[in-house]
Amino acid sequence: MKLFDRLRPAVVNGLRELQANKVRSLLSMSGIILGVASLVAMVTVVQGMVGNFRQFVDAMGGIEKITVTREQLPKEQEHLSELSEGVTMRDVDRIRKTVPLVENISPEARVGYERLIIDGRETSSYVTGVTADYLPVAKRWIDPGFGRFVSDLDVLNMNDVIVLGSAVVPELFGANVDPVGKVIKIRGRRFTVIGVLNNIEGSGMQIRSANSRSSGGAWRWRNSGAFIPVSTAQAKFIGNDRLSGLGLRIGDAERLHDAVDQTERTMLAGHKGLRDFAISTNEQTLEDFRKTEAAFKLSLGGVAGISLFVGGIGIMNVMLASINERIREIGVRKAVGARGSDLFLQFLAEAAVISVVGGIIGLVVSMGIVALMNYILMQALPTGAVATLDWVIMSQGLAFSVVVGLVAGVYPALRAANLDPIEALRHE
Amino acid sequence: MPALIAIRGLRKAYVMGDETVHALAGVDLDFQKGEFVAILGPSGSGKSTLMHILGFMDTPTEGSIVFDGQEVAKLDPDLRAWYRSNRVGFVFQSFNLLPRLTVLENVALPLLYRENSDPVANAAAAKVALERVGMSHRLDHRPSQLSGGERQRVAIARAIVGSPSIIFADEPTGNLDVKNVDRILDLLGSLIKEGITVVLVTHDLSVAERSHRVISMRAGLVQEDRTR
Repeated sequence: MKLFDRLRPAVVNGLRELQANKVRSLLSMSGIILGVASLVAMVTVVQGMVGNFRQFVDAMGGIEKITVTREQLPKEQEHLSELSEGVTMRDVDRIRKTVPLVENISPEARVGYERLIIDGRETSSYVTGVTADYLPVAKRWIDPGFGRFVSDLDVLNMNDVIVLGSAVVPELFGANVDPVGKVIKIRGRRFTVIGVLNNIEGSGMQIRSANSRSSGGAWRWRNSGAFIPVSTAQAKFIGNDRLSGLGLRIGDAERLHDAVDQTERTMLAGHKGLRDFAISTNEQTLEDFRKTEAAFKLSLGGVAGISLFVGGIGIMNVMLASINERIREIGVRKAVGARGSDLFLQFLAEAAVISVVGGIIGLVVSMGIVALMNYILMQALPTGAVATLDWVIMSQGLAFSVVVGLVAGVYPALRAANLDPIEALRHE
Repeated sequence: MPALIAIRGLRKAYVMGDETVHALAGVDLDFQKGEFVAILGPSGSGKSTLMHILGFMDTPTEGSIVFDGQEVAKLDPDLRAWYRSNRVGFVFQSFNLLPRLTVLENVALPLLYRENSDPVANAAAAKVALERVGMSHRLDHRPSQLSGGERQRVAIARAIVGSPSIIFADEPTGNLDVKNVDRILDLLGSLIKEGITVVLVTHDLSVAERSHRVISMRAGLVQEDRTR
């Protein structure tokens, strides 16, 4: 007999027993329900957090980014401040020559919040002077068909060109207008729009800002900038050759520490030993987060594990009770030709039915928990992490409950299978 | 014609505490195809043990059983289950119908454990068996909705559904009123026309008298084997 043919009546029988003992079955399921609900909710929320954070770190340039910023001289070097020339394009050249681990160097000169004006419409945007290397370092791109980014020639010629963030365009031009080629004014100076940056959105895991739920959400700040050639920014707005900082992208994230060391030595040498800069990476943030994630997984996983364990014991208990009540039935089934394996399968299927039904209820409960967590996170955090249940996690949770049911059902099922038919028939 | 069942030197001993109980102390018997036999004896005479061994629910300590030409005294549990499902039917004093199953499902139960079991064919066979015992009007009832006589008729239908060679009826009338006793015994007696051997196990002489052959047992031995 095929396994399926033997299994089908066993499952039908299991459902029948479940229906006949609703309260008892529900009580025995409670552990499974709690276990699956907490497991699925936990994995979902932690995954949501991870996704949220990954995006955040990515938005900061990822793990392979090193940031060099201008810094006040430390106290012991304060008297040498006259000698400090800050971070300049000369540092860019030096790093390019001496730190081969660095693949791209993006010098940045912040101009600040400026009013962008065209034909009576205006908006304000944070204007930064950059070079072509800004794109690979910031992991941005120009949307195909929306022009180009600042080029080396633009930097060389100090061209008055500007690339806009995607959120700026509708504010300045209205919806569905191609801004490339249009001329806008900043502080009376005319800039030709040459491109629009890609729009950054939260993907999978949605990230929203509490006070700007519409139009771009928490990524608005990333979509609202405007970029001009660094030389233009220095010559026409800032008035000196200083940069606000450098963004470095290294090719091999594994060699981050070497790259940091080399960059620091190069910078120190170039600055005659003056520590008028700071170097930072996203590594520490990521490390802190990993620890938090591990702690979350461990504690919530523990709760889920214990619940599933208790759930398994509950199922085993109810199965043993059920078998005790049905010893005669087992005797009858054996008398009419059931083998031990038939009864083993029957009672194992009953345990599995209880755990699957419990698992399904657990999934429904987990949806409630996730919805509640989302609600709380939205209230508590300015950028609430909204986690969404996915089928993979849910089916894993259900699979867990099936495994627990099967493991818990083995011992009772073996007892049923090994009962002596004569003794079983005599049982009162 | 060779006997359906031939048993020789059958012994069964149980160890109970320090004592060894000889439930069967050397039994030789033949059962023919289509025979209506009663095994009569007080409790402890070994009649139930004999029925359990012949019904493939137990194995003897010693001796030989030839069933349909095959030696079957020492079969492994799965083979004994096969014989129970394919060759033997049981009728019990307390009916032993499963309360959660319908009449039809109860009757189809033995077929469920056969190889290549098919639900549709099983139900059809169960209907035929229920018609045979006059219970085809109660297919979807639960056992609890039936009278004692009706339950026993359903139990007989369950015993015959798999076309067995032999049916063991263990005090089949013990829980029935006089009117139903006759009806059930008539029904069992009529099965021999279909070539089924019917073995009544009872301690009631009046019941045993309805059969064609009465085997009296005492202390694990055949005391009298009388054909009428």
